[in-house]
Amino acid sequence: MAYKFQPQFMTNEELWQAVLAQIQFHLSKANFSTWFRNTKIVSKKNNEITVSVPNAFSKEWLEKKYNNLILKVLRTIDKKIRRINYIVKTKEPELKVKTKTKLSKEEEKIKTSQLKLENFKINQKTNLNPKYTFDNFIVGGFNELARAAAWAISENPGMVYNPLFIYGGVGLGKTHLLEATGNRILKRNQKANIQYIPSDRFISSIVQSIQNHTIEDFKGKLRKLDVLIVDDIQFFSGKEKTQEVFFHIFNELYEKNKQIILSSDKPPKAIPALEERLRSRFEGGMIADIGLPDIETRIAILKSKCGENNINLPQEVLEYIATNIQKNIRELEGALNRIITFERINNITPDLKTTKKLLRNLIASPSRITSWKKILQTVSDFYNLKSNTLLEKSRRKEIVKARQIAMYLAREELKESYPSIGRKFAQKDHTTVMYACKKISQQLDVDDNLVTELNLIKQRIYNILI
Amino acid sequence: MKIEILRDNLKEALNCLERIAKKNLSLPILNNILLSCEGNFLRLDATNLELSVSWWVLSKVIDKEGKTTVPAAFFSNLINLLREKNIKIESSDNKNLILKTINRKIQIQGMPPEEFPIIPKIKRENINEISSEKLQKGITEVVEIPSLSQIKPEISGLYFFSKKNKLKIVATDSFRLAEKTINLDSNFKKEVSFILPQETSRQLISILSQNLSEKINIVLSQNQILFEIPQKEFSKPKVQVFSRLIDGEFPKYQEIIPKSFKTKLLLDKEEFQENLKEAGLFSGRVSEVKLESFSKENKLGLFSQSSEFGKNESYIPAKIEGEDIKTSFNYKFLLAGLDNIESSQVVLELSNEEGPGVLKPVGSDDYFYILMPIKAS
Repeated sequence: MAYKFQPQFMTNEELWQAVLAQIQFHLSKANFSTWFRNTKIVSKKNNEITVSVPNAFSKEWLEKKYNNLILKVLRTIDKKIRRINYIVKTKEPELKVKTKTKLSKEEEKIKTSQLKLENFKINQKTNLNPKYTFDNFIVGGFNELARAAAWAISENPGMVYNPLFIYGGVGLGKTHLLEATGNRILKRNQKANIQYIPSDRFISSIVQSIQNHTIEDFKGKLRKLDVLIVDDIQFFSGKEKTQEVFFHIFNELYEKNKQIILSSDKPPKAIPALEERLRSRFEGGMIADIGLPDIETRIAILKSKCGENNINLPQEVLEYIATNIQKNIRELEGALNRIITFERINNITPDLKTTKKLLRNLIASPSRITSWKKILQTVSDFYNLKSNTLLEKSRRKEIVKARQIAMYLAREELKESYPSIGRKFAQKDHTTVMYACKKISQQLDVDDNLVTELNLIKQRIYNILI
Repeated sequence: MKIEILRDNLKEALNCLERIAKKNLSLPILNNILLSCEGNFLRLDATNLELSVSWWVLSKVIDKEGKTTVPAAFFSNLINLLREKNIKIESSDNKNLILKTINRKIQIQGMPPEEFPIIPKIKRENINEISSEKLQKGITEVVEIPSLSQIKPEISGLYFFSKKNKLKIVATDSFRLAEKTINLDSNFKKEVSFILPQETSRQLISILSQNLSEKINIVLSQNQILFEIPQKEFSKPKVQVFSRLIDGEFPKYQEIIPKSFKTKLLLDKEEFQENLKEAGLFSGRVSEVKLESFSKENKLGLFSQSSEFGKNESYIPAKIEGEDIKTSFNYKFLLAGLDNIESSQVVLELSNEEGPGVLKPVGSDDYFYILMPIKAS
């Protein structure tokens, strides 16, 4: 029995293939490949077929010259078809698998040394930078929770944690995590309406739209979002109008189960001049912090950066950088970039000695140096005491506390030994010093005020020196 | 088809059309020009399926039935050689073209006109008018910048957008960006925004440079555009350029325009150009030329070296505002920007070693050129 087409079970693609298969016999090869290239059926409704063509010329040609032929062939497959419409659809840029033509090392260098204008990599619609992904986000104990939360959200936006609030110090990867989440949601659902807005841009857009009386347009645009990502939200502090606008948008999105992701350098509680109603909403979802990376993670980060730059550095060099730059991943990258530039220019792999020389002013940064005198001075100033009173043998409560703090700082910041600290404080025994340090560090865990006080003191200590 | 035509008018049309009609392996007819009659005009069409150019030449039409196609370059070469002013053209069998003058009779073998692509029509609404000269100049100043990248089609063309009485044309290759502002004599009826392919832009320049008309009409539809050079005396246009537009959204380039600068240099354009060319000779394959400002001595130093050629340093007088700065640029990129500046002096604004530099003319704010430096080595 002859094989019969069963049009109702054919996909549009199969149908068009069947048409093309027959049409090729009626045309010259040149005509066929010119006019039918990149055509396809985009819809089939009410016995009408819509064919997309790559340009206006093909449209004219198919309409005027081949319409009868195409219709005839189509009707041999599906008798019900009455009409064909043609629409021009410019080809989506093909995501070509890059033919990796190996560039010579020199060409590679030329390529990398010419800087590009910023912003061109950024997705115009969502404002997300595709370079941030989960794949190149390095996970360690310090950011595990935040990453897990972000990942869960990208699996199921709006449904798990809403809002997600990520906080942590500068240069630890908040932006990376935020954008990676956005990028992954977008990858899983091309149609998702996502917007990444750094808070300063949010503020300036509001100011602008107030001036131009377009505040409703601005709000309307944000209301339609599926995912709103606002980076560095601590800058909203003290901006009342911004907070008000954001509050309303937040509520609307939240009610519609739209995902909101925020980041800040401090937890919501610690953001000053933030309206209570906003603060409580920020705390209503999931709060995850990003701490300081441990040494293993720092080395892993350096290694992955080396990989991206196609460069091999000796283990000891990586270890040296990772040990000496602890608190900021951005600084870590900066240091590595310096080494890489050195390597590129001189074409030699730097050893430990050169590395030390190259990074001297990064690592031994002056703002990180303090002295015994400075600590004493600052602590006594902070508690309104004369600097010598701390050295006296007094058991007055306020003096005892200040003295303990000074001892703690001397131990923590100057890494002095207990006996030597004891000697400086009027020949106290080293056990006294040990007790003081232990007591302060225990209290730091429970007493928020003390944390604040200590931070302020530390700031003063280091600021004076700058 | 049987007509009588003036040689020079035909020549003018063919010189342009032969640039569009290029060899195409899969569709050989694209190498040809379509000739047909419309009213008292000979109509000539050429296309490469990305754009098409149609040209109307006033002629004495004796019999308007029938059309034919002939190889563009061949036909153009032939007409360029003819001495006689009047030419008779006829085609009776829709294939071969017979060409007669007082002293000669020529037969050119053509191809059947049915094979020739149909030039699409565009809905004639939202017609905007613009000065040909301004448009030509504007496009010329940015047309060489785009890079033909498959990965980012949206920056492979020229971005046009209008706002009130300004039309801006912007182009970038992600290393540099130029913006030209045209002051419109009258606002567009509807604001426009589109990305025109570089090739169409180039063809448009060469047609506009023939000064065929003072004004040009722009008709825009969703993914196509028509540029039309009207003829004052007739309802038929003189030339129509029809082109596809590039799909996509041009980058929000306003954000990369530096708002402030650390150093501002005022330089003599010609001197800067010459010194750059000289320094470029020594720059090797990276094309890197270092610039260093010396505000105390009011001069700018240019340094370049390569292992192949040697070293070069030269100094030119400069008026310097702000801090002294050192930075490196691809000298070709700098020259490309300078070439489009008309004023005899130029301003170069720099912000930091790895930040963009901005070139501007002195005395007008209708052009600027942003370029990124080469990472200092």
